[in-house]
Amino acid sequence: MKVVVPRERVAGETRVAVTPRTVKRLVRAGLSVHIETGAGSASGISDAEFIEAQATIVSDPHSLYTDAGIVLGVQPPDAETIARIPAGTFLVATINPLIEHDLVNRLAEQRVTSFSLDLVPRIARAQSMDVLSSMSTLAGYQAVLLAAMSLPSIVSYLTTAAGTLHPAKVLVLGAGVAGLQAIATARRLGALVWGYDIRPVVAEQVESLGATFLDLDVAAEDAEDAGGYAREQTQDQAQRQQAAMTAHLAEMDVVITTALIPGRPAPELVTTEMVAAMKSGSVIVDLAAERGGNCALTRPGTNYTTDSGVTILGPLNLCCTLPAHASLMYANNVVNFLLHICRDASIAVDTDDEVTIGTLVTHDGQVVHERVRQVLEA
Amino acid sequence: MAASIEWLYLAAAVLFILGIRDLSSAETARRGNTLAAIGMLLAIIGTLQHQAIVRIDWIIAGMVIGGLIGLLMAVYMPMTAMPERIAIVNGLGGAASGLVGISEVYRHVIVPQAAGSVVTFDAFHTGVAGFEIMLGSLTFSGSMIAYGKLRGLVSGSPLTYPGQNIVNVAWLVGMLAVISGLVTGSLAPEFFFVLAGLALVFGVMFVLPIGGADMPVVIALLNAYSGLAAAATGFVLNNKVLIIAGALDGSSGLLLSLLMCKAMNRSITNVLFGAVGAAVSSGGSTDQGDPQTISVVEAAERLFDARRVIIVPGYGMAAAGAQFAVREVADLLKSRGTEVRYAIHPVAGRMPGHMNVLLADANVPYDDLVEMDEINPDFADTDVALVMGANDTCNPAARHAEGSPIFGMPILDVDQTSQVIVIKRSMSPGFAGIPNEMFLAPNCHMLFGDGKQVAEQLAETLSL
Repeated sequence: MKVVVPRERVAGETRVAVTPRTVKRLVRAGLSVHIETGAGSASGISDAEFIEAQATIVSDPHSLYTDAGIVLGVQPPDAETIARIPAGTFLVATINPLIEHDLVNRLAEQRVTSFSLDLVPRIARAQSMDVLSSMSTLAGYQAVLLAAMSLPSIVSYLTTAAGTLHPAKVLVLGAGVAGLQAIATARRLGALVWGYDIRPVVAEQVESLGATFLDLDVAAEDAEDAGGYAREQTQDQAQRQQAAMTAHLAEMDVVITTALIPGRPAPELVTTEMVAAMKSGSVIVDLAAERGGNCALTRPGTNYTTDSGVTILGPLNLCCTLPAHASLMYANNVVNFLLHICRDASIAVDTDDEVTIGTLVTHDGQVVHERVRQVLEA
Repeated sequence: MAASIEWLYLAAAVLFILGIRDLSSAETARRGNTLAAIGMLLAIIGTLQHQAIVRIDWIIAGMVIGGLIGLLMAVYMPMTAMPERIAIVNGLGGAASGLVGISEVYRHVIVPQAAGSVVTFDAFHTGVAGFEIMLGSLTFSGSMIAYGKLRGLVSGSPLTYPGQNIVNVAWLVGMLAVISGLVTGSLAPEFFFVLAGLALVFGVMFVLPIGGADMPVVIALLNAYSGLAAAATGFVLNNKVLIIAGALDGSSGLLLSLLMCKAMNRSITNVLFGAVGAAVSSGGSTDQGDPQTISVVEAAERLFDARRVIIVPGYGMAAAGAQFAVREVADLLKSRGTEVRYAIHPVAGRMPGHMNVLLADANVPYDDLVEMDEINPDFADTDVALVMGANDTCNPAARHAEGSPIFGMPILDVDQTSQVIVIKRSMSPGFAGIPNEMFLAPNCHMLFGDGKQVAEQLAETLSL
């Protein structure tokens, strides 16, 4: 079966869906891998390295898709590319189907069988395929470094002959994968770290990294849903949380927000008044900028400093700033997923398999994913 | 029977019924207890007025001694030992029924037969006496075994052997055959004693294959049996209050067992007979049984003698903050020439790289950390694996238990090591919520305690 890996065309996208190591695994499984020229250059992988791993490099993007069996990608293909994908071809990429409705419909019309890796179920067996965990890990780490570079002071504690440099105080809102990694990285740099989450169960996890869990006394018992995600808060809960949080924010040098709700806009955790209460020179890193941001004043895609001296960073797609490891992790997730659904060098759509059901978006001209269908019909 | 006794018995029966009804809710439970106790008092007063009483001094001695023991138990046995208390009391109640049965048999059958005169027991009474002796005896021995399991005197793991259920059923059928033989007269009255003996053994056989964790259900069931024994005694003695109280006891005990099983989401047949022939079923074993335990000193000795050690850190180590103490233990071992490495499972902890962060914090050299695929072949050739708060990542259920939430997840092959020492606070399950088969394996010993404290104690012992 022919596996096709196009070069990512979305501006700013530096990742590639395969690495030489994963190509070798695919070839060993009996698949033939065809990669568009220059696909790996943004990640520091040359065509020669791919060729050495027994992939074929293709210069003409049109002929890339002829007789394609499986298309692997990071970002979903654009409309023009979808038109070139033969009917019945499999697509494995991060489609974001709950939001990209047009794309999903186009894929269905084109009779592409698409799997979206951001829908991989969060079960023990599928952890090796979970792109959200991989990318969040990198984003959490990078957020701390960005914050450190934006601070007018250092992060660690130093007692010197020229005075004592006190450690930065860092508050991480949201203790999921990104939040926990941010906590760990801030600790490695020597900061004083607090973590907060609406789900009280994560208090122990925050503390297991040496940080303090911020107890605002507003958590709810049913704050965690079946997938381990936080539920959206009620109005009342949100208001009480904000009031209690403001006093703490005034003390912080860095606030990193990571709260996301799947398929919905990001919840607002930091209001304009709360930003006004923060110190001059402090930094907010809003990791939810892609979905509108957790901070009212975030400008997604840009960084700026408010009149009161608070620097607000709204990075989009932070993992693209770490292309080597982002591609390494993403490619591993892809190949683990592919080898899971692949039997004898061809793909079996096993509707009894939890992982398949969770990730299959379109098949045979229909949108088959339960939740995506509901959102599209609404 | 004198009218006053009948009235007292009636009052007692009514109070028993009201008492049990009140026990079903927390607010009225206290009152229920008191009502039932008053009922018992009235029943005892009524019985003491019985003409058939020969020697009052034996009875008073029994009441005083029994009352004293009961008082001491009530005052000194802690509330946490409630199930054990109930087991003892229930067992003795069964014994009482059994003994009454034997004494009645003696009086009405054996003595007259030996004297050559007419047996004063008809078929009905003989049959009921047989049931009384059987139920009383098996309740007694069964309750004593239950007490032993709760106390840890008898192993909590189910004691099974192939064909056990068939043997038990055959035994039961045998006992019923003896009773029917006694009723028809084809068996000599000495067989009542044989029956008692068979029943005593049956009580033991019945309870041994049931896991220690299920003892509360068993005790409720044995309670029911002792109630049936009491009802049978009532029939033998023509005592109405015994029949009523026994019936109450029997039915409430059975209902309680069924309710408890429902709450555990298991059928009663699974609880009573489930352990026999059950290999680790899909989804993992439901009964934990007893792991081997080890002390800090013994663990230190094994580590001391080891040539190769692999430390397996998990979320437990993180939650305990034990990484520094673990590093100390590793350093002490390395200074003796032992090879020490850390097996890092890809999803150990609660976030990617959780173990790396903590071990780096504790200054463990990066070279000592080995990833799963690389270190898995080495467990078989390693002397000691020290598991620090890891659970699901080394649970063999992932390899074969198809219903298990971790099925299919690659794990560390820790169970292949010659000796596994697991440092953990308790036998509670990990993130996936299932028991770990490895903990019960013969090559695995549990070192219970707080991760940090235990590791510090190990370090201290090793440095001596």
